[in-house]
Amino acid sequence: MSGTDIAFFLLALAAIAGGVTMLQLTNVVHMVIALVMTFFGIAGLYVLLSAEFVAVVQVLIYSGAITIIMLFAIMLTRHHTDQRERQTTGGVWHKAVAALSVIAFGLAVYFGIRQLDFGADGSALSGDNAKAIGKSLYSYYTIPFEIVSVILLVALIGAIVLAKKDGKGAEDE
Amino acid sequence: MMEQWLESTPSWSNIALFFGLGALLLAVVLAFVTYGILAERKVMGFMQGRIGPNQVGGRFGLLQTVADVLKLLLKEDTIPKAADRPLYVLAPIIAFVPSFMVLAVLPFTDAFRFADIGVGLLYYIAVSGLTTVGVVAGGWASNNKYALLGGMRAAAQMISYEIPLVMSALGVVLLAGSMNLVDIVAAQKDVWFIFAQPLAFLIFLIAAVAELNRTPFDLPEAESELVAGFHVEYSGFRWAFFMLAEYVYLFAMAALVTILFLGGWHPVAFLGWIPGAVWFALKFCVIVFVLIWFRATFPRVRADQLMEFAWKVLLPLSLVNIVLTAVVKAWFF
Repeated sequence: MSGTDIAFFLLALAAIAGGVTMLQLTNVVHMVIALVMTFFGIAGLYVLLSAEFVAVVQVLIYSGAITIIMLFAIMLTRHHTDQRERQTTGGVWHKAVAALSVIAFGLAVYFGIRQLDFGADGSALSGDNAKAIGKSLYSYYTIPFEIVSVILLVALIGAIVLAKKDGKGAEDE
Repeated sequence: MMEQWLESTPSWSNIALFFGLGALLLAVVLAFVTYGILAERKVMGFMQGRIGPNQVGGRFGLLQTVADVLKLLLKEDTIPKAADRPLYVLAPIIAFVPSFMVLAVLPFTDAFRFADIGVGLLYYIAVSGLTTVGVVAGGWASNNKYALLGGMRAAAQMISYEIPLVMSALGVVLLAGSMNLVDIVAAQKDVWFIFAQPLAFLIFLIAAVAELNRTPFDLPEAESELVAGFHVEYSGFRWAFFMLAEYVYLFAMAALVTILFLGGWHPVAFLGWIPGAVWFALKFCVIVFVLIWFRATFPRVRADQLMEFAWKVLLPLSLVNIVLTAVVKAWFF
């Protein structure tokens, strides 16, 4: 087993552990912190795949900005952190069916991706990732890139319009 | 030398070596923090017509910070009853760890550097953003309204000022043609970027002060309005961790400004016989002094002024700087 394998297992474990912890927790703020762990583990996996740029952007956008925005939103809204009763619904049959379908889904995914071919190894791009991404983004994929930016802009303006409308309606009443 | 070690085959001795080097850097940084705090108190004292620490450790108070840290270690570790215990314990760690992680990409001299990654500048910005998560979590977990207000202010401020920080550094990246900090220093062999990018330097310095939560942008820990901001409830060593993170960032940010704008380890003309490490240290000290100077002379800005300044002044200016740099680079290079 090489060092890469050990690193992969540790990072994958961190990512999955973060996800599972998030599902287990009941406090929303704790969940966000667990989510940071998942994002960080995934960023580590990107580094292993020699995609440093994507890894750093993952940390910048997901672990940093999005998490803080989520924390902000949670703190600004009224939150109920009272201990919720941990009770499950449904009988034994429900649970058995749920467990079986989870296993079936896992198997389906496993067999689906086992034979998958991702093309050439990307490790040749290691080092100047950013340059390679920029080149293909601005030469081969210019139009999709521009369309994505327009869609994001539309979403942004839409969000502002929706928020504005609410404020005005409240004033009129 | 570092290069060879990084490319050698992994083994236990390698792990021990890197661990030792990391511990060495930590020791250097802790020494800087100890004497940086003393320097800050001394310089501020002189600027305010006082003497500053002069009792512990001789005339210059050389052991003052050491005594302070010992006091902190002996202090009772209090956790408020209504606090969110796990998060309260975790927050100082989340705040401190990224501050040390960012040091990995900073090239101090030609030989003394750790990681040499292609996206070094972006790595610094990304990882330093994680500290905010710790600050916000600490402010929330304390279950105290002042702490929460401080945490919220920290989050808003960090997010707002990160944008002009990155945008102004983009001018440097355009000129150097790389985000690798080693390449950026190499590109300044003839002209330092402070002369090629004066506007970017100003914007970067202002945004850096804001990112460091120092006066005039110290709203997250404004003593006179928020008691102490996000760390009101913290005491003893947990509090020390927040402070340590702050001063390690001071170290990192001063080093980053030196690397991006002051030519890193490159000497001034005709003085090439002085080694690069000395040059780096000199430039670094100048930046630290300027940051202390700011702290002693500026009043704190208001919260609304803070936000307006970031979005309405610094961001447009940095966009103008990017366009100008691109035009200059396209025509004259």
